[in-house]
Amino acid sequence: MSDLVIHVTVNGEARRWSVAPGDLLLDVLRREGYWGVKKGCETGECGACTVLVDGRPVNSCLMFAAQAGGRSLTTVEGVSARDQLDRVQAAFLDHGGVQCGYCTPAMVLCTEALLARTPDPTEAEVREMLSGVLCRCTGYRKPVEAVLAAAGARAREAGPAASGAPKGRRRRRTGGRR
Amino acid sequence: MSSHRIVGQRARKVDGFKLVTGRTAFTDDIALPGLLVGRILGSPHAHARIRGIDVSRARALPGVHAVLTYQDVPRVPHTTAGQAWPEPSPYDTYLLDAKVRFVGDRVAAVAAESRAIAEEALRRIEVDWEVLPPVLDMEHAMDPGAPVIHDEPDATGIRDAARNLAGDIHTHIGDVEAGFRASDLVVEREYRTQRQQHAMIEPHIVICWLDADNRLVIRTSTQIPFHVRRQVAMILQIPVSRIRVIKPRIGGGFGGKQEMVLEDICAALALAAHRPVKLEYSRHEEFFMARTRHPQILRLKMGVKRDGTIVAHHMKVLAATGAYGSHCTTVQGNTGSKVLPLYRAPNLRFDCDVVYLTTPQAGAFRGYGCPQGYFAQESLVDEIAHELGMDPIAFRLKNAIRQGDVDELSAQLGEGKKGLPRTIRSCGLPQCLERGALAIGWKDKRNGGVRRRGTLLRGVGVATSMQGSGIAGVDFAGAFLKVNEDGSFNLQVGATDLGTGSDTVLAQIAAETLGVTLEKILVYSSDTDMTPFDVGAYASSTTIISGGAVKKAAEKTRDALCCFAAQLLGAAPEDLVCRDNRVVAPDGKSVTMAETATFAFYKEKTQVMEGASHFNTDSPPPFCATFAEVDVDTETGQVRVPHLVTAVDLGVAINPMQAEGQAEGAMAQGLGYALSEELVLDDAGRPLNASFCDYKIFTAKDMPKLTTILVETEEPLGPYGAKSIAEVPINGVAPAVANAIFDAAGIRLRRLPIRPDAVLAALAAQKGPA
Amino acid sequence: MFDRLRAFHQPTTVQAALRLTAAERRAGGPGRFVAGGTDLVVQGDRSLRWLVDLSRLPLRYVKTRRGAWVIGATSTMADLEHHAGLRRFADGILPEAAGTAGSPQIRNMGTLGGSLANASPAGDLAPPLLALDARAVVAGRGRRTVPLERFFRGPGRTVLNGGLLVEVVIPARPAPPGGRAAWSFHKLGRLQSDIAVVNAAAGVAVDRGGRCTWARIALGAVAPTPLRARQAEAGLVGRSFDAAAVAAAADRAAREARPVSDVRGSADYRRAMSRVLVARALGDCLERLGRTR
Repeated sequence: MSDLVIHVTVNGEARRWSVAPGDLLLDVLRREGYWGVKKGCETGECGACTVLVDGRPVNSCLMFAAQAGGRSLTTVEGVSARDQLDRVQAAFLDHGGVQCGYCTPAMVLCTEALLARTPDPTEAEVREMLSGVLCRCTGYRKPVEAVLAAAGARAREAGPAASGAPKGRRRRRTGGRR
Repeated sequence: MSSHRIVGQRARKVDGFKLVTGRTAFTDDIALPGLLVGRILGSPHAHARIRGIDVSRARALPGVHAVLTYQDVPRVPHTTAGQAWPEPSPYDTYLLDAKVRFVGDRVAAVAAESRAIAEEALRRIEVDWEVLPPVLDMEHAMDPGAPVIHDEPDATGIRDAARNLAGDIHTHIGDVEAGFRASDLVVEREYRTQRQQHAMIEPHIVICWLDADNRLVIRTSTQIPFHVRRQVAMILQIPVSRIRVIKPRIGGGFGGKQEMVLEDICAALALAAHRPVKLEYSRHEEFFMARTRHPQILRLKMGVKRDGTIVAHHMKVLAATGAYGSHCTTVQGNTGSKVLPLYRAPNLRFDCDVVYLTTPQAGAFRGYGCPQGYFAQESLVDEIAHELGMDPIAFRLKNAIRQGDVDELSAQLGEGKKGLPRTIRSCGLPQCLERGALAIGWKDKRNGGVRRRGTLLRGVGVATSMQGSGIAGVDFAGAFLKVNEDGSFNLQVGATDLGTGSDTVLAQIAAETLGVTLEKILVYSSDTDMTPFDVGAYASSTTIISGGAVKKAAEKTRDALCCFAAQLLGAAPEDLVCRDNRVVAPDGKSVTMAETATFAFYKEKTQVMEGASHFNTDSPPPFCATFAEVDVDTETGQVRVPHLVTAVDLGVAINPMQAEGQAEGAMAQGLGYALSEELVLDDAGRPLNASFCDYKIFTAKDMPKLTTILVETEEPLGPYGAKSIAEVPINGVAPAVANAIFDAAGIRLRRLPIRPDAVLAALAAQKGPA
Repeated sequence: MFDRLRAFHQPTTVQAALRLTAAERRAGGPGRFVAGGTDLVVQGDRSLRWLVDLSRLPLRYVKTRRGAWVIGATSTMADLEHHAGLRRFADGILPEAAGTAGSPQIRNMGTLGGSLANASPAGDLAPPLLALDARAVVAGRGRRTVPLERFFRGPGRTVLNGGLLVEVVIPARPAPPGGRAAWSFHKLGRLQSDIAVVNAAAGVAVDRGGRCTWARIALGAVAPTPLRARQAEAGLVGRSFDAAAVAAAADRAAREARPVSDVRGSADYRRAMSRVLVARALGDCLERLGRTR
């Protein structure tokens, strides 16, 4: 069994890993210290192992580590700076969207990916996005509320153009007072 | 309830930061030098004897550090049930045995340097089997001539092993036969419930090692750290003092971890290998090698007067405990003791047989016998109310137990022995029904409204239920507080947070009592060396029992600190009030808690620290009203639930946000219990759907709109009036859904889960012969 | 767990992929192609010695070629689900079906080629592709084109015979003169995210007078392979396309189904649901063609 050397970017940092051909990404990530990536089923059903590959959620338990070569990965450790919480993480805590926390990193990452593409999602879109993360604790209600709240917070921060204002009617800021 | 400052707040979980940032928190989040991987060889047969077992080729494999069979370990009959000693469950389990009793039962265990090597070692173990006939049908387990599952001579506590009868319960108050004779209407029905699996997202996992003092350390995802310590000590024949059990964060339990599932075998491997060993279940193994809910057949007979008064109720239960009897009489005891007394019938009778089967083992699961019992009872009363032409809510209100009542049946049915009578000191059931009915739109929907849309028939249904809060006279907890000079406190509790948020709730109770803000309480929990005893997280006990201990310890600590503050303030200690991190004298002068603590430390040379224990001699029930709105698709038979309402009287909500979360999670599990979850076995006892692919739990897309209503009452036995909420909301979901299906389509489904083809069959039968 | 895997090749051209595969087969030991891994990793065949990863091949595209849709084999389910052009084609049944598969994570990984090569009788892409007369292009010794209805041999078995599925072609379908066409897809699962208990795709073209000129009915999870209900189709063509025709076709299609019982549903239930889903799919077509249900 000869080792492969792969180069990946994880949370913005260049990494060089020595992996066996049959190594799965989930196991390599945990071995490399990314404890936030969880093992729940190893068959791509529970979603606890979710990481973002080039911004898209995937089940790291189904991906060969070698396939991550050259890609950019995001784990929950990369969501916020060292001692901070980003809007999504804060919303999950403020709205009771975390109970045991085992599925939380996956939910947070899926949310980050969703809001990056759809800053103002509907509840249906949120539930669709979360359908790939199984949670046995919350009944999903508060996680959904947290995501919608985080979207609202992001929109307020980003200004009118990102707040779901109708397309084609961008308000241009003119200088000076009205 | 807002005379409180911290109690009643929707506070963020105190452990939330590490959970949302993915910091090391769970059992597996640890790197240990020399860690070996443990694996269990599970039996391919449901029932067999090991005539011979050869592990020599496994032991010879490079990288294998330990291989254990029944020949290598002590034989100590025990139960794996996490219960206070002496456990009421039979001692019918062995670390490893020469007999296997279900597909997946332990045959051998290995520890090796990698998972690949461990699994290769398992493949190299050769077993000479004497295959025995399986026993899979609970209705025939006691037949004369049925294979005897527990024929070993050294088991104890089995009711009648020769007939595969693990336990039985027979109890009554009044005289049901006389009651039936005095009834205007007597209805008899049979209900069947399935094996539900906990499916917590973190499967069972444990890591064991010998520390530098040669003590066995068990780091495990468990709800019962102290019971585990005692059990492992007994099984491996080492003193309790040589064992330390540590519980990190847990990824869910729901009763599946109220059990010593892997700790004993992992410890045995670690001791044999002299290396740390990690043993975890794969998801596949978790489904059938851990625990399930007890499947039951319930035969109910209820007699009522024409005006709806329940006169007599006889509940007969046949339950299957699977291969081993953990929780066999206590779960089923609950089916009687927590279900029958919900209605004030003077004549109640409960008869129950619990049989062994060569199937996956049943154990504790949220609700603990109540989901089964309430599915049956709430479906039956709904049917009777309909028969009498009474509104289902009115029927329930007429008969429901009330504040001030004494539940005599509880005295008959304790934890495997006589219990204690139960007095209802708080009861918000009428408000639960009223507010829940409003939230679902009961009046409009039951009296018209849009009933048919295309192929969908819509209806609403209701169910009521109660549970308990702790086990009276059995559950107890200790708590310990010490102050730090900055006015913060270390709170040490044995209480087990399995994601329920108990660390947070207990911190809120401590903060409220001490008069400090929440972040001043630093919780350390569930470490048998460092925290006081606690029975563990089960029976909805943590808030009321562990919380009671915390409140007592906090009161003592507060009083001790006031003695020092009194010196600083020139006032009498009993006149001081602690509030907002300050100690305030009647004249308005105050000092900070930090100043008080610093004074105590460095001037008075005293570490203020206090501990307390607590238990109750009663178990105040939380009450719950569940309302379901369903759409029945008459073409596909599928049942969808657009709206589910739960109104719970939990006493006082220490943290309403966490309490709602508990209810909502229970609702999701209840929906799975009602409509989609069942562990299915083939006719050789092998699991057919041991994966999330085919064991269907509700996802975010399946969940209905949830309305959660907290009805607050004040329970004298609970800290700040709290009772509990962890289990009760699951009980009413299945019957509320079944009753809603009747309202929608006029059909009664009496078997769980309610499957589409059963719905179609019932609809077809309703139409009558063609 | 793939502890016996000794080689993980990541070629960047189809030719290289075929060369590597041939060399590995000569060297001995079992191996396979892998793309998203959503079936292969779950199947967990630890006898595998080598894998050829397809994710770097230039086969991830959705485009048109002389009016036909051409979809590269490593296009993901998500690529199909979100493709604006495909959503406007054939009433969007292909993106709709792709969007019902698995979860968002699975759809970001699982590929068209992987799904077809896996040949699950319940695969969600097969019924719409069959209803669209899709053809599979296979690279091996040269290239060959296989109509999709001849592609599946049984559960997990195809005609690939070691070749590499590189592309799926959906021919342009000229509408009849003055006529119109409509399609629909339906899937029944136990819960919202599920492997199909039954899935069905239908396509109907009618002339100006409302008479059916062309029909396709495809069912999944009710036979060893995804199947075309040809008798039901034949029964529609040449007749007025109306509610009675829909009911008759649904009955016929259900009789053509050959379902088995498994943990997801009994054979009887699946047969009954075949009728229901085909009726619903054809009913949608009726509605989309502006006719009454």
